[in-house]
Amino acid sequence: MEETIIAYRFDRLEETLSQLNKANCAIVAGGTDVMVMHKSRRGVPPKITKPIIFIDHLLELKQVNQNGNDLHIGACCTYSELLRDPLIPMPLKKAIKTIAAPAIRNRGTLGGNICNASPAGDTLPLLYVYNAKLLLRSVNGDRIVPICEFIQGVRRVQREPNEILTEIILPSVLEEGAHVVFEKVGNRNADAIAKVGFAGYIRTKGAVIEDVRFAFGAVGPTMIRSNEIEKKLLGKTIPVTDMDIAKVVAAFDKIIKPIDDQRSTAIYRKTVALNLLRYFLTNSTHIQHI
Amino acid sequence: MNLKNISTSVPKKDHKGKVSGQLAYISDVKVENMVYGVLYRSPIAYGKIKSIQLPDLPEGYEAVGAEHITGPNYVKIIKEDQPIFANEWVNYIGEPILMLVGKDLDILYRLLDEVKMELEEHQAIFTLDEAIKQKSSPGVTMASYEFGESLESISAIEQGACQIIEEEYNTGYQEHVYLEPQGMLGIYKEDEIVVQGSMQCLYYIKNALITALACGDDDVRVVQSPTGGGFGGKEEFPSMMACHVAVAAKAVKKSVMLVFDRSEDMVVTTKRHPAKLKYRTALDKEGNIMSMCVEVFLDGGANVGLSSVVLQRALLNSAGVYKIPHFHAKGYVLKTNTVPNGAFRGFGAPQSFAGIESHIGHLSKRANIDPLDYKRKYLVQQGDPTITKGNFRDPILMEDMIEDLLNASNYKKKKAEFQTFNQQNQRYKKGIGTSLFLHGCGFTGSGERDHIKAKVKLYKSKDNQVSLKISNSDMGQGIFTTLSKIVAKELDLPYEEVLYPYPDTKEVPDSGPTVASRTTMIVGKLLERAAKKLKAQWLTGVEQEVTEDYVHREMIPWDEKTFTGDAYPAYSWGVNFVEVEVDTLTGNVKLEKVYANYEVGKVIDDRVMKGQIDGGLAQGLAYGYLEKMTSKEGRIQQKSITDYGPPTSMDVVTIQSKVFDNPYADGPYGAKGAGELTLIGGAPAVQAAIEDALQTSFQQIPITPEVIIESLWMKEGEEG
Repeated sequence: MEETIIAYRFDRLEETLSQLNKANCAIVAGGTDVMVMHKSRRGVPPKITKPIIFIDHLLELKQVNQNGNDLHIGACCTYSELLRDPLIPMPLKKAIKTIAAPAIRNRGTLGGNICNASPAGDTLPLLYVYNAKLLLRSVNGDRIVPICEFIQGVRRVQREPNEILTEIILPSVLEEGAHVVFEKVGNRNADAIAKVGFAGYIRTKGAVIEDVRFAFGAVGPTMIRSNEIEKKLLGKTIPVTDMDIAKVVAAFDKIIKPIDDQRSTAIYRKTVALNLLRYFLTNSTHIQHI
Repeated sequence: MNLKNISTSVPKKDHKGKVSGQLAYISDVKVENMVYGVLYRSPIAYGKIKSIQLPDLPEGYEAVGAEHITGPNYVKIIKEDQPIFANEWVNYIGEPILMLVGKDLDILYRLLDEVKMELEEHQAIFTLDEAIKQKSSPGVTMASYEFGESLESISAIEQGACQIIEEEYNTGYQEHVYLEPQGMLGIYKEDEIVVQGSMQCLYYIKNALITALACGDDDVRVVQSPTGGGFGGKEEFPSMMACHVAVAAKAVKKSVMLVFDRSEDMVVTTKRHPAKLKYRTALDKEGNIMSMCVEVFLDGGANVGLSSVVLQRALLNSAGVYKIPHFHAKGYVLKTNTVPNGAFRGFGAPQSFAGIESHIGHLSKRANIDPLDYKRKYLVQQGDPTITKGNFRDPILMEDMIEDLLNASNYKKKKAEFQTFNQQNQRYKKGIGTSLFLHGCGFTGSGERDHIKAKVKLYKSKDNQVSLKISNSDMGQGIFTTLSKIVAKELDLPYEEVLYPYPDTKEVPDSGPTVASRTTMIVGKLLERAAKKLKAQWLTGVEQEVTEDYVHREMIPWDEKTFTGDAYPAYSWGVNFVEVEVDTLTGNVKLEKVYANYEVGKVIDDRVMKGQIDGGLAQGLAYGYLEKMTSKEGRIQQKSITDYGPPTSMDVVTIQSKVFDNPYADGPYGAKGAGELTLIGGAPAVQAAIEDALQTSFQQIPITPEVIIESLWMKEGEEG
């Protein structure tokens, strides 16, 4: 029983896009999710029905550039490469360090983490509070989509079959003044899938809150973020009052609806998510004050 | 390398093959005319099989089931309650019903999906609590023992007590997570069936095969292949797989390979018994213990397997390392329709030590005495009776070991520092906890004399090469190395020149199973004696063979019916101190410092011992706070290592350990058992440390972040 697997590995992005335009392919960057998703039982190779197209080696997708205060990260930069890159902000490095273990970090890519769209994707809460924008390219040209629109549900993304995610743009991330916190709660310190993820972002002018953002991971089908709740804090002064903190926490309490599964319980996830939020509001605004 | 001091480390015998990745494990093996086997398993927890409909099998594909078993349809362990292939009743989800064999695994998996079965489902028992409620119903209590002072006299003491404290404590599953999942190959030959695989107990398997195949001693042969970890998980479970491949090989006249992948292994193989322990303790005015009653309930799973023996060890350790003035214990193994539970490093003792250390710790809080001070008041001493009217006849170094750790950890100062830290830090809380424990070495009671009857052989070839001929498995724990060292030293030979090939029942006598921390102490001693004998008879250039049989040193005879006498020939001892930092927002526990002192008679190899300490303690600590396995309506929920969560190198800190010398006359060079001991103190110490950090009490392990958050949340709720 010979099985034929069609796989493409072009030298240039252009050729890759042109092939993608001809046929629907399974895109493999690091492969750390694709291989697990298509895993067969022992002794049988993974079953990927579509032709495979490798993009992990494409130099066009492996650059990190600064553009004003924006940061452009090539989608196929591996986590290990990002950890070594001086332009990558510390909170993102902190998030990356919590991902799996060195072997996976040597293969896995930031673009892969986004396109895999796991509810527990480790970098996603942070990318959401950074207001990450995604550059998608096809033979027809480029388009830019905010991450919160791109990810639509569990493992569901708004990518056309002929498109490749080429760049992650973090707008104004290199600007001074913002305080960003990332927390991953897993069952152990490596090779763990998040039970709760949290990212908080705050920028103040003097004692006035100019911008504040929160995102929660692993407590719903996608990251939970609410512009409406965030807006309530704009223009307030720090330290945020206990009453305002209570209001924000209560508002998130209404929209965070986690589930019980083999890794944790709904009540735990919710309690911890709100604990981290409360802690961020209490402490980060204090730090800013000093 | 000639050995001056037996403890000095040498390169492990299997080092090169393992480090280079060259060593072939069973799943790497391919033999001529080999097919694969896959198991069709019960989809329900309890019910009757009405009919089975097989798909059309392509040529070369066959189904093997109960009708192919020549002997009786059970796996010989202790009781005849475990079918090789269930053909009438199924008792748990995942119970093997039949095997499909053929060349291509892909086709086999497809065929497996096409098997249809009609079942009559019956009301299953899913949890230990349900089983406890039904323990008088027929078949639910699978084993039970009771011993100690009469309940009448205990009750008289309780009447004079100032207060009676009752506590209930629960322990969870633990999964072995050996690196190499279970695997077994049945090699078909015209005149014999050879079973080769990952295993701890060659003769358990051989005896099971003789029964299942209803054949003679020479018709089956068992060979151990390199074994990537056992921890007890490869004690009795491989006997079932061996029966599967042997029955199938005989039926299809081909060699049959059965290897589990990780998720299958996690869902269907034995686990550590979940347990419930109940304590009822009478205290006087000052908080001193007057009497204690302990009840132990073990979740046996769907069949009894080794559970009765596990219960014995759980009960024998139910008073911990303490001399309790008046003591009574009773225990049960109860049946549930869940995956059978079985042997796991510690064998019932980890549950008991977690429970008793927790209970004594809580009593100390009531008495307002530091837990360690309180525990030391009750510590057994040399010459004291055991709870079964045996005797602690050898010197006990616990006080020295405790003092040493008090100094090493700066215990008193730490406690004060942590108090200040905890007052100042809202989010993180630090704590320190201790555990005191022992482990009875070797089989319980007269097991060695009555059941095992170990025999060892040394063979010397014409060119003076000496080989160990014993049935014990090196599963990574290092006995290739330690036992070879003992023989080399006795014979004054370089260690490298003493051979210890993977055992094959055609070549080796039954020196017993590789379990119960018995190998170094019992088999090692026999080898030491055999080597002495060979040395005395040594003739250069002549082929020679010596054997040595187990000799029982009679102490206070063990009576299993009354549970009296010396339960073990000797005890190994340990003290653990653990420091943690708890994140009160997430409930995550971070180990900060781990100190461990042990006394195992004499260390045979420093590095091998350190391997046992670091691995055993990591496994024991994780049992207390990290590893979590649950069953939902008879189905194991955690099917991957990630979801189950054993510790990684990022979770464990450097373990600062010391081993104290206290040579034991009946062990080689004074050595006693060490392998299981190292696990036992981890969970109770980590629990005590978490309790110290949070100033609260827990009644269960593992104390997961979920448990911690619930406890903190409830506390707030009560206050509010």
